[in-house]
Amino acid sequence: MSAMPEVDGEGRAELMLALLADARLPTGGHTQSAGLEPALRAGMPAAQVPDYVRARLATVTRVEAATAVVARHVALAAGPVPDGAGSPPAGGASSAGVPDGVASAARGLADTWLAWTARTPSSALRETSRRLGRGYLRLLRRLSEGHPAVVALDEAAVLVADAPRADGVPDPGAGATSAARAVPGAGTDPGGRAATGRRAPQPPRPVVLGVTAACAGLSARQVARLVGYEDVQTVAAATLKLEPVDPVVATGWVVAAQPAIDALARAVADLTDPRAIPAHGAPLVEQWAELHSRTTERLFSA
Amino acid sequence: MPDILPETTPDTRSLRLGVAGPVGTGKSSLIALLCRELSGVLQLGVITNDIYTDEDARFLRSAGVLDPERIRAVETGACPHTAIRDDVTANLLAVEDLEEDFAPLDVVLVESGGDNLTATFSPALVDAQIFVLDVAGGGDVARKGGPGIARADLLVVNKTDLAPYVGVDVPRMVLDATAARDGAPVLALSRLDRESIDALTTWVQTLLAAHRAGAHVPQDPGPMAPHFHADEDGNGFLHTHEEGDASHAHDHSHADEHDGAAAEPVAAAGRD
Ligand SMILES: Nc1nc2c(ncn2[C@@H]2O[C@H](COP(=O)(O)OP(=O)(O)OP(=O)(O)O)[C@@H](O)[C@H]2O)c(=O)[nH]1
Ligand SMILES: [Mg+2]
Repeated sequence: MSAMPEVDGEGRAELMLALLADARLPTGGHTQSAGLEPALRAGMPAAQVPDYVRARLATVTRVEAATAVVARHVALAAGPVPDGAGSPPAGGASSAGVPDGVASAARGLADTWLAWTARTPSSALRETSRRLGRGYLRLLRRLSEGHPAVVALDEAAVLVADAPRADGVPDPGAGATSAARAVPGAGTDPGGRAATGRRAPQPPRPVVLGVTAACAGLSARQVARLVGYEDVQTVAAATLKLEPVDPVVATGWVVAAQPAIDALARAVADLTDPRAIPAHGAPLVEQWAELHSRTTERLFSA
Repeated sequence: MPDILPETTPDTRSLRLGVAGPVGTGKSSLIALLCRELSGVLQLGVITNDIYTDEDARFLRSAGVLDPERIRAVETGACPHTAIRDDVTANLLAVEDLEEDFAPLDVVLVESGGDNLTATFSPALVDAQIFVLDVAGGGDVARKGGPGIARADLLVVNKTDLAPYVGVDVPRMVLDATAARDGAPVLALSRLDRESIDALTTWVQTLLAAHRAGAHVPQDPGPMAPHFHADEDGNGFLHTHEEGDASHAHDHSHADEHDGAAAEPVAAAGRD
């Protein structure tokens, strides 16, 4: 990361942090209430939103932040963008033509992805995270095209597709071999694919965010704070659509959550190993998410 | 390196056709009509935008005019405007999924969540758009204008069979709309009027041919209509707000602005 002295890395990281924290980011975030809508429907009073926010920061959001931090760390192994575009990678390359750094980052990202899956028991929450991850990935592909960390994420999807009980892929039924699920080349089948289930597994939002952070030069602590802030601000903004609250009051909730966001950032910023991602659960949040995924007439999809 | 999460490649890129307009004017019905008329000759897909869940998608699936798998719903939540204009991410992903799953598709029809007169599609999402009004909304709506009415690729005045019951003079309404659109196409449509249905399908086929030939350029109807600025002397001029035009606040006072040398005479209809 220290190889580019002419670039103001700090300025760039600060700008990218502001950009990623901005609700105007085109990733489909306006459909989200961070579980607030089902919580209010289940009878939680709006006055308890600050408590709700703190409970999330201590549990499900901590898992998200830890996942993003670890994903960032392992993605850095892919290395920076090579100098001459199209020139062969300087380091060694495996037989498949994938540079060693990319292959190692891909393994780390696949492990992180699966660790997140194991720590996110609600399929509704996993589905929401995958959907949001697609929005972020779309952006990442455009903004960091060809970055080795993005290539590593694509490789990780292949590894996850082939992992037993892979995330995003229905359990392999009788006769469904890994070749049927395998992804390279499948998309070019001229006959077209009618089944939606055969699409490549989609990385969840925190994994994509971690790779984005690696590409954008964000520190571990910055990406952890970003996840915390984004969660709190999503809840606060959604409150305004669901309950009659003065927006200044809701903004005050975000400011008041700062110590809790910082505690979260401190707790996860040093993590580097997917196995160390904490497994805090919030059964009520998970149950509400499941109920909401089957609710009609909702203003937010999750 | 296999790109395992591909963007849609150019050769599987469909014509993406938006259908917008106020609530209940017949957007879903028009899409069902197009599916019924064209699914024999074209490969179609449909995306619906709904505030709540997937009501429009279910209506279209139950109409039995297209393989239900080819009809997908995007939930806009509280932000139907946002989903088709400011942040089209969810819609683009849905369109790209359809194009990938049923490649090659000829046309993907995207229905906007029924919203007010100002909601139009971003050209980043659709290549062309139809704006649907109906006679039941009254004969004056077309004349009142708005971005969709004035600059959609096609304006449909729907449910003309109801005109006698709501006291609307259809030829008059079409004339008003044509004037508001500077002569751009206006189609008086009724599902009971065979000739109008044929005119609609012909328009779509012609558009598709132009799209394939590279002759069709997606246009942005824009968030604001051109509007008239009067000054104290009774002069004034027409202009539009280009996107990113920072020189105009949207809540400006129309009465006293622009009264300098820069103002163009009314007949010039200048853009600034
Ligand atoms: N008489 C008559 N009724 C029509 C025609 N086209 C549609 N309708 C009726 O108009 C009503 C609304 O039609 P939709 O297609 O649901 O309208 P929409 O614009 O999709 O509505 P939203 O999605 O709720 O905004 C339905 O009752 C249709 O049957 C027509 O040509 N003539
Ligand atoms: Mg409809």
